[in-house]
Amino acid sequence: MKRNINKKIVIEVNNLRKSFNGNIVLKDINFKLFEGESLAIIGASGSGKSVLLKNIIGLLTPDNGSIEINKTNIVNLPRVQKENLLQDLGITFQHGALFDSLKNWENIVFKVKNREKLSNKNAEILALSIIKNLGLEPKILNLYPSEISGGMQKRIAIARAICGNPKILLFDEPTSGLDPVTGSLIDKLIITAVKTVGGSAITITHDMSSVCRIADKVILIDNQTIGWSGTPKQMLKSKNSKIQEFIKSTNPNLFK
Amino acid sequence: MFKYVFNFMGSIGRKCLNFISLLGHFFLFFTQTLSWIFRPPWYFKRIFSQILDIGYFSLPVVGLTTFFSGMVLALQTYNGFTDFNNETTVARVVLTSITRELGPVLTGLMVAGRIGAKMAAEIATMRVTEQIDALGTLGTRPMQYLIAPKVIAAVICIPFLVMIGNTIGILGGYVIAIYKLDFNPNIYLYATVDYLQWIDIIQGLVKAAIFGLIISMVSCYFGYYASKGAEGVGYATTASVVISSIMILTSTYIITALFFG
Repeated sequence: MKRNINKKIVIEVNNLRKSFNGNIVLKDINFKLFEGESLAIIGASGSGKSVLLKNIIGLLTPDNGSIEINKTNIVNLPRVQKENLLQDLGITFQHGALFDSLKNWENIVFKVKNREKLSNKNAEILALSIIKNLGLEPKILNLYPSEISGGMQKRIAIARAICGNPKILLFDEPTSGLDPVTGSLIDKLIITAVKTVGGSAITITHDMSSVCRIADKVILIDNQTIGWSGTPKQMLKSKNSKIQEFIKSTNPNLFK
Repeated sequence: MFKYVFNFMGSIGRKCLNFISLLGHFFLFFTQTLSWIFRPPWYFKRIFSQILDIGYFSLPVVGLTTFFSGMVLALQTYNGFTDFNNETTVARVVLTSITRELGPVLTGLMVAGRIGAKMAAEIATMRVTEQIDALGTLGTRPMQYLIAPKVIAAVICIPFLVMIGNTIGILGGYVIAIYKLDFNPNIYLYATVDYLQWIDIIQGLVKAAIFGLIISMVSCYFGYYASKGAEGVGYATTASVVISSIMILTSTYIITALFFG
């Protein structure tokens, strides 16, 4: 993805280390995300990608290291300040994490409606305007998440993340379990979302075609640390065995 | 030989430490939730929907339980106090038992089974499906949004349920006394009203409010810290009902001892 990337750092992770009951999951993690940049994180299942994301959004606290969002270290930051900082983030979870007691439109506008005290009517209009770009029909807005397919749920989760135009978007496997057409649609949506708000994105994915479409930079998490990093073009030419293995097993056509 | 004794002592020690750690963790959760109850924003729509669920929809269960308990109490009192059976004795025993103990305790246990289990399962499911994590990232504090409305609603509703349950229980006793034991309705009613004391009603309502706090806090606690997927949801649900019930039965003795001891 060719876009203008500013030199302003929006997320900086330094020497991050995280363990659970003595088992080290991540260590020596260092990377920077610049304004306007789209970063893809790849790695085998269980390599700690989602743990890294949860550290960035403050759901987990690292054992060591710092995570700076807009130059403020969020590790051990007081609750109110952390909440204010996280207002700028739009997040989708691996399994959607939609609120099953709320209708789809209520899910989409949840943050913005509470923050801006929108009326139900205005909130519904806002939700409608967002799903138009997601290939979803308006009639699903009044259904509950359990009444729509998994693919639709993913798209509703993405709509919730981009609602309110957050400056930093974090996607945890946004295209997993989706058909290629919908997957491609979501990739376009991520590109558009990042472009329109002039924001930055971190996407965790196993889909190498998706990586090539959406990412400016790629990080491979391997053996608890960053095993490789570079651009998607460099990735395709990389001699790194893990990278090659990853590409061959997911999409060998990318080599051609 | 010594090895087995040490292992045995060790396992008891570990259990005790785990129990103390659980108590400390629960106490922290309890104080955090209480602090969120008194801080804005208050989610009135959610509080109202919980009041409807806990109060209104529990009425049939509570009503049926207390009605039949009142009936059986009148019958057993009549059988047990054969030498003293008269309108006054049966009326007094039914009234005192229902208002002081049976009304609040049966209501508490019924609500623990119906609502406590529901609260724990709902919050535990939200925990294991990352919905609680998502709430936190959407600028909403999970304790304030999810737990505080349930605690507020339970503390408000259960005293009302107990009042209604008490009335229905006394009515159950009346029905048996009049239609099965052929007591004089006027004398029975007079004895009931005459023996009714404010302290009994107040004590029952204090118990009810404390039971509301116990049920909601215990259920939300086990739900909030659930893990391990579907198994964790099942554990949270069972633990919430069992622990709430034990705490209700323990606290009812303590409150009774404080009021009448």
